[in-house]
Amino acid sequence: MEMTFTVNGTQAKVEIDPAETLLGVLRERLRLTGTKEGCNEGECGACTVLVDGLPVDSCIYSAAATGGRRVETVEGLTLDELGRDLQAAFVAAGGVQCGFCTPGFIATLVSVLRENEAPSEDDLRTALAGNICRCTGYSQILDAVAATVSRRNGR
Amino acid sequence: MELRAADSLDDALEVLSHRGDQCQVLAGGTDVMIQLARGEIAPAVLLHVEKLDELRGVEANGDTRLGPLVTHRDLAKGLLGERFRSIAESAATVGGLQTQVVGTVGGNICNASPAADTLPALLVHDAQVTLRSSAASRTVPLQDFVVGRRATTRGPDELLTAITLVTPGERTGDVYLKVGRRSAMEVAIVGLAMRLAFDPDGTVNDARIALASVGPCPMRSADAEAALVGGGLEPDSIDAAADAVLRDITPMDDVRGSAAYRRRVIPGLLRKAADLCSQRAGTGSPDGEG
Amino acid sequence: MTVIGERIPRSDGQSKVSGEAIYGVDYAEPGMIWGALLRSPVSSGRITRLDTTAAMAMPGVHAVLTAADAPDAYAGWVLRDQRLFAVDRVHFEGQPIAAVAADTLAQARAAAAAIDLEIEPLPAVVDLDHALSPDAPLVHPDWESFVPTAGPDFPRGGNLAAESISDPPGVDEAFARAHRVISDEFVAQRQYQAYIEPKSAVGIFRDGRYTIHTAHQFPYNVRDRVSQFLNVRPSAVRVVGHTIGGGFGAKLDASLEPYAALLSRAVRGLAVKLVNTRTEDLITCPSREGAITRLRSAVDAEGNIIARELEVIADNGAYSGEMPWLASIALHCARGVYRAGPTRVVARLVYTNTTPTGAFRGVNGTYLYHAVERHMDHIAAELGVDRLEYRLRHLFTDGEELLNGQVLDDAGILRQGFEAIEAAAPWAELQAEKRPYRGIGIGAAWWLTNPSAGTAVVKMHEDGTVAVVTAATDNGSGAVSMGVTQVVAERLGIPPADVHIALPDTDVAGFDGGSQGSRTTRIVGKASQIAADEVVEKLKNVAAGLLEAAAEDLEVAEGTVRVKGVPGKSMTLAEVAVTAMNTVGPIQGTGSFVTPFPDFNPGCATGLMLPSFPTPTYHVHLAEVEVDPVTGNVRVLRYLVAQEVGRVISPDGTYGQVMGAVTQGIGYALHESLRIGEDGRYRERTLESYRLPLAGDVPRVEFFPLEHPDPDGPFGAKGVGEGPVLLPAAVIANAVSDAIGKPFNQIPITPEEVLAAIQS
Repeated sequence: MEMTFTVNGTQAKVEIDPAETLLGVLRERLRLTGTKEGCNEGECGACTVLVDGLPVDSCIYSAAATGGRRVETVEGLTLDELGRDLQAAFVAAGGVQCGFCTPGFIATLVSVLRENEAPSEDDLRTALAGNICRCTGYSQILDAVAATVSRRNGR
Repeated sequence: MELRAADSLDDALEVLSHRGDQCQVLAGGTDVMIQLARGEIAPAVLLHVEKLDELRGVEANGDTRLGPLVTHRDLAKGLLGERFRSIAESAATVGGLQTQVVGTVGGNICNASPAADTLPALLVHDAQVTLRSSAASRTVPLQDFVVGRRATTRGPDELLTAITLVTPGERTGDVYLKVGRRSAMEVAIVGLAMRLAFDPDGTVNDARIALASVGPCPMRSADAEAALVGGGLEPDSIDAAADAVLRDITPMDDVRGSAAYRRRVIPGLLRKAADLCSQRAGTGSPDGEG
Repeated sequence: MTVIGERIPRSDGQSKVSGEAIYGVDYAEPGMIWGALLRSPVSSGRITRLDTTAAMAMPGVHAVLTAADAPDAYAGWVLRDQRLFAVDRVHFEGQPIAAVAADTLAQARAAAAAIDLEIEPLPAVVDLDHALSPDAPLVHPDWESFVPTAGPDFPRGGNLAAESISDPPGVDEAFARAHRVISDEFVAQRQYQAYIEPKSAVGIFRDGRYTIHTAHQFPYNVRDRVSQFLNVRPSAVRVVGHTIGGGFGAKLDASLEPYAALLSRAVRGLAVKLVNTRTEDLITCPSREGAITRLRSAVDAEGNIIARELEVIADNGAYSGEMPWLASIALHCARGVYRAGPTRVVARLVYTNTTPTGAFRGVNGTYLYHAVERHMDHIAAELGVDRLEYRLRHLFTDGEELLNGQVLDDAGILRQGFEAIEAAAPWAELQAEKRPYRGIGIGAAWWLTNPSAGTAVVKMHEDGTVAVVTAATDNGSGAVSMGVTQVVAERLGIPPADVHIALPDTDVAGFDGGSQGSRTTRIVGKASQIAADEVVEKLKNVAAGLLEAAAEDLEVAEGTVRVKGVPGKSMTLAEVAVTAMNTVGPIQGTGSFVTPFPDFNPGCATGLMLPSFPTPTYHVHLAEVEVDPVTGNVRVLRYLVAQEVGRVISPDGTYGQVMGAVTQGIGYALHESLRIGEDGRYRERTLESYRLPLAGDVPRVEFFPLEHPDPDGPFGAKGVGEGPVLLPAAVIANAVSDAIGKPFNQIPITPEEVLAAIQS
């Protein structure tokens, strides 16, 4: 079946299988490999993208359900001011080690910070429950968010 | 496999009326997509209903009526208000943010997992579910709808269209407590919802206790509820309620926890839940939290 | 102006945060097709039927291979005990039996599932004690035919995969005169590395050679293993590394690579890619081994430990991998960092019908230190002595001679570690503030920096920037993208952004011992420093004529070669590099480095394959926990680390290693159950039941770096990454035992056990 959606601001029309996931469309059909597959069961959050602004695990999100919707991946968030601020802060704060989880973290955090300009660390630890990082222990990721928040609120 | 995207409720019911026995209803997909990937289900038709606005939203006039497409995230943010805190708390424990923003309460009900988080909370609020087919509509208590491990009485031509809750009265407190090994992302080892209503003197005049992950489907424990009514949450009555729960449940050993552990946590959970209900109803001791 | 110790952005940071970085699972070749493996569904059995006819006829299938299509060769890191595909017998669940190549991944998996396979189950060896009993079936009845990969054979036999025994004089005499004897038994489960990028590989057979693209910690080891399995010389295999989505030791040995290579050959050179599902990855990963550790200490009337016995039985799984090398680590950890008199150490590694185990950050050390530190608490409690005071009384000091004869000149650093912790969390205050269900645990450790060889070429471009050619890999730690980069930048006086380090390629860069054992910043940093120094000398020689000064009067700094003390008399590196093209030719330098093993007594033990611990570092940890009396869950409230690091090269990298390692240790201690059923199969099989710590499960670690620069390390650096994973299980177990007043001697500590203990 055919499915049309907006990805990173551009209309895309793809042929999909009815049971296909959004992750499959992004990685295999559109070669947007910035979004990662870690578990394929909605446990790790490496595949997080924004659908109509909401963070979803694209590995368990129906491609068909994406029709007519607006998807933002890490590649697109690189062009978003908040996304770019977060990315820079991740690098500056040591929030990236292997980096495989990072695109998913960026996606979740863009959504969180769009909704709440200054979340507390506890809020963030809760909001990030669906994003697993095996390398950092999260502290420097939280530092990166704090730096982003203070930078954005300071200007 | 074919995907049908319903653009109206009538459209969805039409599909179900003809091919309901070959259909898997797809809403947020957080359970269905995993089951598809694992090959646990292989329906001929995926009926996508998630864009049906008539199945969304909340109405509160007397009873509270919510659409099955209300998401866990909506509930967790307190869409239903202070009187349904257990529902908000239960929804807040369903996976992470990514699951909550797309996972729906209707999906949680129809998936009928023994560990479904929202079900105990809905049960303590006397939830009723409305099912429609192109021919008829019926409304049944939730506890009569979910009847076993991944089993409901939904007919192949029926769609869940509404969930109705009785709004609790004054001096009522409710809570959902979940047992898991991490701070989040847990399938409940035990889930416990409680709602208590109190007389002005602190006597419990109405009690609801429901549990998940202690048997084939989430269940209420009438004997435990009876044990709390008429008293003031004295240790003896909590003990009696715990004994009643332990008689009612049939927990299993599984990869998440042993039956023995599931039994072991019950008394402490009941005590904690009762204290929180009391406090939330405005009758508890000031240091009862926690 | 220095960049050592400064916060710099990691060189691969931007590509990682933007999604541009190509990880192993992202890598694709033109015309690439897909592979999949048929893996054994049981842990022990005899293959009675294996028919690929139906699979071969499936849509899109190019090839189906079994043992009949593979060279008759044995491979292994330490012992050649493994074949590419199961032959007649299967020895663990997940063992490859056949491989398929097809146009799409879905087709390959469908065809693998369509292979007609029948296995007659056989009894599985699972229990570690039972594995060594005379009536246990042999996992490998043909064990005698296995040949060591290098060097002489080592003590082994039957289900005993390796053994290291040290039996110094005086142990039995001391036990005979002991005032009391204190005994404990500790059981540790396995731990899955659970990197977020599952394993993958792309193989290409072309021009009679195999090229393999993989995201790997140790490309040269992949080269060696593929060459063994495919029975070709090592140089017939080229391994190209890609960005790694975490490894933690699990990506040190080959996994999917030889199958990708063989499949490509079978399909006449088309590139073939394999990628694990998460469950495949989990059940076949060389996880941290489970172990049983038994400790006995003889204590005199004054409370001194006058002798000890340690016995450890560790689970090798069905094949040996790196494990036999590591058996002697028990000797180095048997006393922890406390004097304990003559110590008998018996370390046994046993074959079982389970997934082969392997390296995970802090190999062997996690459960050994858990045992030793729990045992110290037990002894102090028996003696009625404060457990911190008891530790300090017996703590190693400068010049400590160890069981293997190695001397620790600087073990006094341990006391500084305890002092750093005391300053931040005074012990007496912690005791005074204790509340119900709260507990404190403390412990200490020492550890090595892996000494394996490394090499680097630093070449100067004509624009004044440099490239570093090395087979070192950055597994995410920042050791290459920050550490080595900073070392080279510092040496050449250029910004770190002007240092480019390519991904590894075994056809291009010399041997490197892999990202393991905290070695990369130190070993590859040192090799790169030597190479950079050669570049500096060459730059000076070329510039000397141009600047009309003697080479020894020149310095390379701030992007220039300049005459010391003469402002304005300088040339840019680019100018010198361009000039060199017409005079001496392109400027580059090479460096190689390996740390020698510290002196030891070769007669101290049998099976001493890792004889001593080079470049020691010292570690003191403290944890405060709270137990939920309703559920038995444990929450870590506070976690402190004091750690000797030599010198901090990158503060973000150093803290990231400590915070990340402690988090893995907290998972190991509390969340990450990885149980093996009686059938030899894992019970936890997904990331739902295999629980990794979340942001809400860990506190921010309070870190106190201790800096005693190592004269041999680049700018004094020692290893950082492994040590901090050694102690969390130990100090958390001590803290939980303190909170509940009952001993918790298993890893992990489960809420089930805790609640049972509270209610009993």
